[in-house]
Amino acid sequence: MALIRPTLSDPATYRRLVYLLLGLPLGVAWFVALVTVWSLSLGLIVTPLVIPLLIGLAAMTRGFGTIEAEIARGLLDVDARASADTPSRSGFWARFRAMFGPSFWRTQAFLLLRAFVGFPIAVALISLLGAALSLIFAPFWVPFVHGGAQLGFWHPHTFLGSIPLVPVGLVMLPATVLLVNPLTAVFRPMVSGLLPGPAALPGATGTGATAAANQLDPKPVSPAARRRALEIHAVVDGAVVSLLVLIWALTSLGYFWPIWAALPLALALGIHGWLVLIAERPSLVAHFRGSRALADTAGIGGVLALFFIAIWAITGHGYFWPVWPMVGIVIVFGAEALAVILSSPRQADMARRIETLETTRAGAVDVQDSELRRIERDLHDGAQARLVALGMSLGMAEQKLAEDPQRVGELLAEARMGAEQALRELRDLARGIHPPVLADRGLEAALQSLANSTPMKVSLSVDLEERPAPAVESAAYFVAAEALANAAKHARARRLDITIARTDDLLDLEVEDDGVGGANPEGSGLRGLRRRVEALDGTLSVISPRGGPTRIRAQLPCAS
Amino acid sequence: MRVVIAEDLALLRDGMTRLLRDNDIEVVAAVADGDALVREVVALRPDLAVVDIRLPPNFRDEGLRAALEVRRRVPGTAVLVISQYVEQAYAEELLADRGGGIGYLLKDRVMHVVDFLEAVRRVADGGTALDPEVVAQLFQRRREDGPLERLTPREREVLELMAEGRSNAGIAQSLVLTVGAVEKHVQSILSKLDLPQSATDHRRVLAVLAYLQQED
Repeated sequence: MALIRPTLSDPATYRRLVYLLLGLPLGVAWFVALVTVWSLSLGLIVTPLVIPLLIGLAAMTRGFGTIEAEIARGLLDVDARASADTPSRSGFWARFRAMFGPSFWRTQAFLLLRAFVGFPIAVALISLLGAALSLIFAPFWVPFVHGGAQLGFWHPHTFLGSIPLVPVGLVMLPATVLLVNPLTAVFRPMVSGLLPGPAALPGATGTGATAAANQLDPKPVSPAARRRALEIHAVVDGAVVSLLVLIWALTSLGYFWPIWAALPLALALGIHGWLVLIAERPSLVAHFRGSRALADTAGIGGVLALFFIAIWAITGHGYFWPVWPMVGIVIVFGAEALAVILSSPRQADMARRIETLETTRAGAVDVQDSELRRIERDLHDGAQARLVALGMSLGMAEQKLAEDPQRVGELLAEARMGAEQALRELRDLARGIHPPVLADRGLEAALQSLANSTPMKVSLSVDLEERPAPAVESAAYFVAAEALANAAKHARARRLDITIARTDDLLDLEVEDDGVGGANPEGSGLRGLRRRVEALDGTLSVISPRGGPTRIRAQLPCAS
Repeated sequence: MRVVIAEDLALLRDGMTRLLRDNDIEVVAAVADGDALVREVVALRPDLAVVDIRLPPNFRDEGLRAALEVRRRVPGTAVLVISQYVEQAYAEELLADRGGGIGYLLKDRVMHVVDFLEAVRRVADGGTALDPEVVAQLFQRRREDGPLERLTPREREVLELMAEGRSNAGIAQSLVLTVGAVEKHVQSILSKLDLPQSATDHRRVLAVLAYLQQED
């Protein structure tokens, strides 16, 4: 009860209802438009006409995507967050290729899902709401309809006779509204993960949380999130197909029409699966001369070809017409491969790479410079000063040797304590430059030693089969050390989880505390760490909302 | 007592030799690397080897490995490892063979000549000397609502000294208590932590360390 009333009185619930109901017109519109343009394009694939059609398709997809993103922002309060594609170079061909980048396919996937998931949901909601309303108002229409209401074995046909229907409708109406929140939950991840967001455009300034999240997290789509999105996609598809099969089984059992829904869904899922696969396995892209776009085309072309063959197979074989779209796919792939070979895509990649290297090298030099200055200062203020004091104590002891043996004893003890203090400071300083245990025993032992020196409860999980390169080890160590120091000093955390794992060629370090958050990613400590990580081609993300918790994640390439 | 020293810095090697000789300890050899240490120990059979953890050629943990090698080749040789840093991981490796006569101290401790000589003699006699910093790390790891919280502050001090490897007499001297009072504290600690009574100080140290190393 406690949950039901706020849900029903919350205006946001009704905005979400409107969003779901819009699935009917929009789902139909997107589906019809996409099917028309796609079949036209595939039909005309061997003619030059296909080029303007494809450009039109890309523009249309972007337009529809923007409309959906705006609607979702207004009605669901969800921001689209996927990255938009921008051409890496000028020129028609590069721009043409950028039109069909990952963002295009993600938007396509969203539009298809909106049709195949949104449409049935909207129809179901409209039926339920209609039924509820007609039950509530039954006494006002039942007496005037010939034969009254037909409800199985019960046929009320008078005003009084239909009054029992009113409470049924009164329960059904809010029950239907309560379905809205779980149903919108299906769309939220699709909107945020598939539609291109404004904040992802370079130079554009987003608002609120999205912009902040993007600043903090230069790599918003983590492998885990990507895999999760694919899983959600597969589960949703499976559910839709099972539902349709159930409806088919309960109704006619005649012609197996659900196949016509299952096939396009399988097509979309196959494309999505391929995109996730090549995102996770950079080694696959290497087979396509390092061109991500070519890899995209190959996989998507293959899935499309299978799709046509499946249609041919279930429509009674006969003339093998899929050969024509397949020829088209091969031509597109061949043309693209030729372009990749001729235009040497590595050139653009290399220009970008040089730019990155220039920035990160400057960052690394800065870090090194400020680090050296810190060491110089620490030596000057610490050990050097202590040694001067020690020398003074010894000098005074020498002077008083004959006259005041007791004072000499005191001075010598003072000198010894000064020496001990200097040693301790030097030890801390050396540990801050490079802890010996890290070189001798590796990351796990070094982090354990770090954990032993703090009163926080640290849980450490290191899953590394072999030791990464020393530079990677030491960057990971210092990220963890800084996170630990911040958690203790600023976040007032009581516990800290450090997880290190290796996936393919990445060392993945994650540190999460239970503190109050609010860490400034541009503060000197975190900025230095970021530069250190970026100098190794890694990424560092800091997520620290006010109120906590703080999560720091570093991904460092460590090719073996 | 006959001692071999392995220390690569001549200044420290000579200083250490002088310090031990001034206190009637015979330094039979002073070498600069791990291989020489093993060789001299095998040839001269000293009671104790004092080893710096960082030795040539790589200046990592050659000293530690030489010390373990010494224990393997000539069992019963006491080993005192000294270092600019102490790490609990190394302490665990050293104590792993469970025989007595193991020491692991910061180089700083040499400056407390009396304490240092006491530790040298204790290790040579088959006892244990663990640096207070290692003990502090072990204590740091166990906090909050553990049985350690049930100890009185005085008992905690006594437990720390037990973990360093001191005898009851040594603890009494260090805390300015009578041996009887220390014995009472030790009894109380062992029963609070549910540890067995041990015949030797060395077994007692191992039990205390094993207790402190348990994951909680």
